[in-house]
Amino acid sequence: MSNNSTTVTRIAEIIINELKLEDVTPETFDPDLDLVDEVGIDSMDLATIALRLRDEYGIRIDEDDYPKLTTVRIIASYIDDKLQAGE
Amino acid sequence: MGEKRYTFGDIIGDPVIGERFQKVRDYFFLRESTYDMTSRCNIRCEGCYYFTGEKQNTPDNTNPEDWHRLLTGEKERGITFVVLAGAEPSLVPELCAACYQVIPLGAIATNGLKPIPADIDYRIHISVWGNDATSLAVRKAPDMLARQIDNYQGDPRAVFVYTFSPVNIDEAREVTELLAKNGLQITFNMFSAPVGYTGPLRHTSETLSRTRRVMTELLAEFPETVLFSPYNILVHTEEKGLHALFSCSYPRMNPSTAIGLGRSFRQYRTNLAWDRDAACCVPDTDCEDCRHYAAGSAVVTARMYRHADNPRSFAAWLDYVDTYLAVWVRGYEKGKNLCADPVIPVSDS
Repeated sequence: MSNNSTTVTRIAEIIINELKLEDVTPETFDPDLDLVDEVGIDSMDLATIALRLRDEYGIRIDEDDYPKLTTVRIIASYIDDKLQAGE
Repeated sequence: MGEKRYTFGDIIGDPVIGERFQKVRDYFFLRESTYDMTSRCNIRCEGCYYFTGEKQNTPDNTNPEDWHRLLTGEKERGITFVVLAGAEPSLVPELCAACYQVIPLGAIATNGLKPIPADIDYRIHISVWGNDATSLAVRKAPDMLARQIDNYQGDPRAVFVYTFSPVNIDEAREVTELLAKNGLQITFNMFSAPVGYTGPLRHTSETLSRTRRVMTELLAEFPETVLFSPYNILVHTEEKGLHALFSCSYPRMNPSTAIGLGRSFRQYRTNLAWDRDAACCVPDTDCEDCRHYAAGSAVVTARMYRHADNPRSFAAWLDYVDTYLAVWVRGYEKGKNLCADPVIPVSDS
């Protein structure tokens, strides 16, 4: 799991902006919340967020990997792994 | 020099594309499920998906209160859009009304021979399989188009769905002209063989190519009548079916229950039961041959990411989604198509 708090916070910020979430900040967003069950994200939201992450980090997110990306922390770890692998 | 790399921000930074993206994005909340309403039909069409496989033997639940209760549960689990289909929903208007009372967004697939009451304000998809001579041969019903037009003249819920098969390609013109003359709208579907079907309606390379040409001509000549786009034409007349092109996301072909259609979609039978292993928009279709308009509406739309590599590809995807929304959602107005020369992007997966 990613301990990179900068990545976690930035992903939270992107999700908050894309979903127009209120009453939460990147710092207070629980990175272990289930994005589908607890935040209410859907597949089209996730595709949009994946594109924003592509812009931010210069990595591609495989469409088949969407089901695995269930929390902000898992997404951060996924991105860190991709960056370390030089993808 | 390599190809220019675009960010998603670049792409939607274009004012025309950005505006269209926001327009379709407002409908990302749609979550569909489909419902067979009755095992009865007033005609028997060759290649009908409903009368293929075992589902035709399912007993009917005819109690509107049970349907109301089912739809209430559907709404609670997040379904926002219903498709009322097989065998012929117009024969059970009281059940359609029960659904409409609970979930007011949806569409009904009908043969159009019996009008659906005006207070059920769903989109009405009226199936057309050719001119009246072909309909008589394939559907065994006389004067179909004349009766359909008579029933739905001036009805803003109506969109005629012309299913191209090898035997009716050239008839699409006279049908489109007639609908245009009557101020009605048409969209296009492709005959997709049911499992085990060996009849003459299965498309070949030659008929796909011919269909593409006719669709292109009709879209150009009747832009106010034809709800379609160049990308719809390309996608639905490819040699490869939708599953091979986009990896179908309906439960029947998608084992994941994490997110999207694999999580939320259900296809209910007339006894209000459903089976995940059979659940898709047109059950008992041969997935290798599937080019259904209903399937594409979900499957192509779900693949936004792979279309967002450049403005041309994304504009084509937007045309597709704009078309699907215009065909399926009451009150949604289709915009002008943005991409005249689309290509199908290849998946990274």
